[in-house]
Amino acid sequence: MDIVEFREDVWGREVLLGVSWDLLWVVLTLSAVAIMVHIVVMTFLKSPPRPSAAGLHMERHAAVDRGFHWIMAVSVFVLLFTGVLPVVGVDFSWLTIHWVAGLILTAAVVFHTLRALFWQKPREMWVGADDFREPFDAGTKPGKYSLAQKGMHHAMTALVLLVIGTGLVLFAMIDTPWWNRSNALDESTLGWIFLLHGASTLGLIGLVALHVYFALRPEKRFYTRSMISGWISEDELRANHDPARWSPERSA
Amino acid sequence: MSYLHIGKNFTPPDIHGKVTGKARYAEDYSVDGMVYARLYTSPMPHARVVEIDADEALAMEGVFGILTAEDVYPTEAPAPTLLTNEPVYVGDPIFAIAAIDEKTAEDALKKVRVKLEPLPFSVDPVTSLKPDGPSARLEGNIYPREMRSLHWSAEDVERFVTGREPTGPAPSEWSYGDLEAGFDNAALILEESFVTTGYAHMSMEPRSVLSYWQNGRCHVHGSTQSQSFVVPFLARMLGIEQKDLVFVAEYCGGGFGSKISAYPVLAIPGYFSKKLGRPVMLRITREEEYYVGSARVGFQGWIKAGFTREGRVSAVDLYIVQDLGSQQAGGDASSAGGAISILYQPDAMRLRDVPVLTNTTPRGPQRGPGQNQIAAIFEPMMDKAARELGLDPVAIRRLNAPDSSATLNANQGPVTSAYMKEALDRGAELFGWSERIKKSGQRNGSKVTGIGVGQGYHSAGANGFDGLVRITPDGRIHLHSGVGNLGTYSYAATTRAAAEALKCNWENCIVHHGSTEENLPWSSYQAGSNTTFTHTRANYVAAEDAIRKMKLIAAQVLGGTPDQYDIADERVFDIGNAARSLTYGEVAAKAVELGGEFSGETWPEDIHEVTQRAVQGIAGTGLIGVAKDNLPVRGTVPGLTVGFIEIELDLETGKHEIVDFLAVAECGTVLHPLGLAGQLRGGAVWGFGMAGLERHVYDPQNGLPANVGYYQTRPPTYLDIPAHMEWSAVDIADPDNPVGSRGVGEPAMGSATAALMCALSDALGGHLFNRTPVTPDVVVNHVSGQGQSHGPLATNTF
Amino acid sequence: MSAYDVMPDMELFQPVTVEDAAALAERLGSRGWVLAGGQDTYGWLKDRAKHPKAMVDLSSIDVLNGIEETDGGGVKIGAMTTLREVSRDQLIRARYGLLAAAAARVASPQIRNQGTLGGNVSQDTRCWYYRRGLSCYRAGGNICYADSPEGMNREHAIFGASRCVAVSPSDTATALVALDATMVIQNTRGVHRVAAGDFFVGPAVNITRMTVLRPGDILTAIELPADWAHAEYYFEKVADRNVWDFALVSIAAAFRTENGTIRDARLVCGAVSCVPRRLTSVERAVIGKPRNDSTGEAVAALASEGARPLNYNHFKAPLMDNLVRRALRA
Repeated sequence: MDIVEFREDVWGREVLLGVSWDLLWVVLTLSAVAIMVHIVVMTFLKSPPRPSAAGLHMERHAAVDRGFHWIMAVSVFVLLFTGVLPVVGVDFSWLTIHWVAGLILTAAVVFHTLRALFWQKPREMWVGADDFREPFDAGTKPGKYSLAQKGMHHAMTALVLLVIGTGLVLFAMIDTPWWNRSNALDESTLGWIFLLHGASTLGLIGLVALHVYFALRPEKRFYTRSMISGWISEDELRANHDPARWSPERSA
Repeated sequence: MSYLHIGKNFTPPDIHGKVTGKARYAEDYSVDGMVYARLYTSPMPHARVVEIDADEALAMEGVFGILTAEDVYPTEAPAPTLLTNEPVYVGDPIFAIAAIDEKTAEDALKKVRVKLEPLPFSVDPVTSLKPDGPSARLEGNIYPREMRSLHWSAEDVERFVTGREPTGPAPSEWSYGDLEAGFDNAALILEESFVTTGYAHMSMEPRSVLSYWQNGRCHVHGSTQSQSFVVPFLARMLGIEQKDLVFVAEYCGGGFGSKISAYPVLAIPGYFSKKLGRPVMLRITREEEYYVGSARVGFQGWIKAGFTREGRVSAVDLYIVQDLGSQQAGGDASSAGGAISILYQPDAMRLRDVPVLTNTTPRGPQRGPGQNQIAAIFEPMMDKAARELGLDPVAIRRLNAPDSSATLNANQGPVTSAYMKEALDRGAELFGWSERIKKSGQRNGSKVTGIGVGQGYHSAGANGFDGLVRITPDGRIHLHSGVGNLGTYSYAATTRAAAEALKCNWENCIVHHGSTEENLPWSSYQAGSNTTFTHTRANYVAAEDAIRKMKLIAAQVLGGTPDQYDIADERVFDIGNAARSLTYGEVAAKAVELGGEFSGETWPEDIHEVTQRAVQGIAGTGLIGVAKDNLPVRGTVPGLTVGFIEIELDLETGKHEIVDFLAVAECGTVLHPLGLAGQLRGGAVWGFGMAGLERHVYDPQNGLPANVGYYQTRPPTYLDIPAHMEWSAVDIADPDNPVGSRGVGEPAMGSATAALMCALSDALGGHLFNRTPVTPDVVVNHVSGQGQSHGPLATNTF
Repeated sequence: MSAYDVMPDMELFQPVTVEDAAALAERLGSRGWVLAGGQDTYGWLKDRAKHPKAMVDLSSIDVLNGIEETDGGGVKIGAMTTLREVSRDQLIRARYGLLAAAAARVASPQIRNQGTLGGNVSQDTRCWYYRRGLSCYRAGGNICYADSPEGMNREHAIFGASRCVAVSPSDTATALVALDATMVIQNTRGVHRVAAGDFFVGPAVNITRMTVLRPGDILTAIELPADWAHAEYYFEKVADRNVWDFALVSIAAAFRTENGTIRDARLVCGAVSCVPRRLTSVERAVIGKPRNDSTGEAVAALASEGARPLNYNHFKAPLMDNLVRRALRA
């Protein structure tokens, strides 16, 4: 099994082609194993009583942010499937869908970044020293986001930015309705871009698998609901968050 | 004048082998212990070899060794290299590997790790001439007989590519007459910029070579146009004395200028064989033949021509940027100027020439080098002038055509004789020109008729080479021909001048050729259309020497003085008493007995050392006639042709069909009608290819050639040419040749190229494409009015 | 890099049944190479630009050879039937003159004697960069050398390019699409049929293959339906040379006319995209019109509508239009 693949360039020199797609199966396997282990561990752990969804609705995600999340989710799924299915032998006309989804994702990310920086509280996503007490101290509750959620967000951020960055470069290397491809990159640079694009894709596949898994876990499902409906219950808030660190308003 | 052999058809001795397949070309030979070499060629258009690691390859079973640039004859840039550490084009051979068979050799090539450092490159001369343009070689980018660098200003480049009068400095220039006065006298001045393709020679037989060493002598079986002429050059390339070279080239599957003399590949197996102590066969693949087999010099240029009201060409100003490819070449531009100077006899003329190296396949002379490129461009300009002046295309050519008082080139030297007006008249009559021209522009559905006439020229004769004949006691006449068998049968046809002089039966003649072991005299190169003129002379003087000796012997044996004797029916006889005679066989036996000059124990001092060795080789076997051609020659020997063509051009597909073609040769007395017909028709096929089909495409980003196979290069096929092509000849003897003959091979192509270019232009109402080839896409673009895809004056792109 | 010219070592299988051939092809997967007439194959292998480990030679399978009538008035042509046979067969000439004409324009007589119909439709593209053995998109790489700012692409696509700009080189493919042929494909899972129009695959769908055939698939036959038998046909291939050349643009057209007007039409252009290009807008436009010059003039420009020429192939657009004119005129 190879980690990366090589080819010969136009003059017969060995040149990087990109990531080896053998790694796709490794990533899928590792993700499945991680999820399985987690399921087993959680089955044997004694879970605390589930907080009630009844009572006051506290706002967790504004509609606009939920919209962003789902637009991003859909575009990432479209990108992953259009990018990966041809690799595993499913033939369809994927490229245009892929770059359109890529542009939507890029626009969504730009929007989210601007909104998060100027209209939201970026500190809510900041990882501070307090956050690291959470896993070891049952009494320490997080603010709006747990350490795990912040970790997931930041890992996702890094990979999405990488995949977008490399994707935009590759976008310039194909013919589009607006321009014809350029020859700006030599073949070895192109190989590096493909490697980073492929590697970040593989990372995203693993991360998305975990993200979806956690979103479906019974004890976390209220977060998923909040990403749909916007609110969590007062009970859920109290059970999972420290009101001193996050005190949301009542949901409309 | 009535001849026994001259002007008669005969069966050249190599025909049977060619027809039956028994002919042995270089790669048909096999010797015990022979191993096979394969070449590693450069993947980069210009590079420096940093490292060749062949350890793994050499450790393979069945692999015998590697040959690199360090092992072979060194050359100085831009001379061709056998193997190189600075490849200058994609396909430049870097090293060779020898193995038990070719598959093992190729397997071994895959295992050699080669590290190359890319260097700047260019596949377009004008790109290289730009202010910061890349140079094809480390030593510079132009080669006006020495390597140096030349860069134009941005404005010079801009002017040139937009077709305005060039201002870029040109390192070579010649002129004659008063150019300014010539243009002042002109009623019409035409200015055109142009491009011609430098496309591959495409020899059907790739230049495969077998070499081995025996008793200190190097045996080389190769494929060359020339025979004796190759010997000194190949010996020098191999670093051996001429006497230690055995060179066999009995057949040549086409060279067209690319196999005139010793080319680099010819020497590689010799070196490899010496290194390995085994015979080495190097077969060249079709793709490799496109790399090392050379191509025509490409032109990018500008012409200004002045015409008087009557249609006389008063002045021509010609500016040519030559694409020399990656190695030393050139001369095409000057030859192009020379062709204009003789064909139209302009009062004044100037040629400026910028010979630029590019990282493309090496260039060399190709059938009518220079003359034929310019014929494709200038002849349609003659039609344009005729149109504007209200003249007939044949009439304007006739008005300017050379006769025996013609002058040519910068020095305005004389010609031996010329009868171009007669050729035009003959052709116009046979073709029915005056009726045919009325069909010009006629529409038939999407097709339109085009009529064209084109002229071709090449100098066609040299002098000063040696002839060698031998009569053996069995009465056989041995004609030793150092002429190579390039496919025109001239190696045999020219010996018929000796048979003619000796008044002997052709059936009693044996032509010796194709190997140094056949004891062959020093000969010219088989190129430049010169063999017919040059070697009929050399054979004639050798026969005269034999006749002189026969008369001396007859006088000695039968009494009297030599001038009492004459020859006839293969006998020497007393003019006063024909019964007193000796047969050629008896004379030959006596010559052996007498020795000395009669049997080749001594020889004339002025013969070449190659001929001297040949005489030594046959000394004592019969009566030897040997001499150097010291006959007078009063000027340039012109080979002239005219082509007449009718085509139908389909405006919807851009395809043309040649309805009729007629070639007329003006080459003195016809030596060998079938051979001449072959030259005229074969030349026409080439011409049609140049005008309408053959391509030479390079990717400018990576320096890769697109045309490395027949189907990509597109030489004409049997359905691209007319099924029948008529020919004729003026057949007036040239005074400077003992049998009146001149050569004609090269112009035969130029006139066909020109005729087709003119007909294409005629079909489109006089539109000049000013570039070859005019392929269907070019026509479709023009007809649809959407402009051409290629950039102005871009070359190697079509 | 070198100009290789010698067959490398490889295993050779010569099965006598399609089932065995399919089983071998399946087992060998991408390491295998199915051999028909070899006219495309040997160039690849001797140039060492493709590196299969084993060849499955179909020439000993009798059932792949020959031309026969099918129930309902159609014809079935074995995939290994030579192009010469297809071009000369009386049945084909009588019923499907379009295919006979197309087969007769393939390459040269020598190649038609050896080349097969199945091979002709399955052959790889002739993009010179790809044929050079470069690692372009089509060869599994990251780049197209032909579609670049300075790429030399006179013979390349003006439609349907997606990173790769290669064109379909097959002369018979256009005729088969025009005749609405069905391709019969067999593998270890059985036999399935694909319309000729769906048999060819563009780079947007799969950039490394020209057809739907995957490793393990054997094209066994081509079926021509009765629907388009005895129709009015027009075939023309414009190439630089009249023998041994690939089309610059070709057209295969079939018309059904009734009372002087066109009732149905199928027009297909070759060498303008990676797959034979149906000229559907032209087809729609000619229905109900007479087959003549003025119809040709009226609809010709529809042929090249939407073309996206590269650096050196602008001529293909007017040439396509002209071929439509000629198809309607003839």
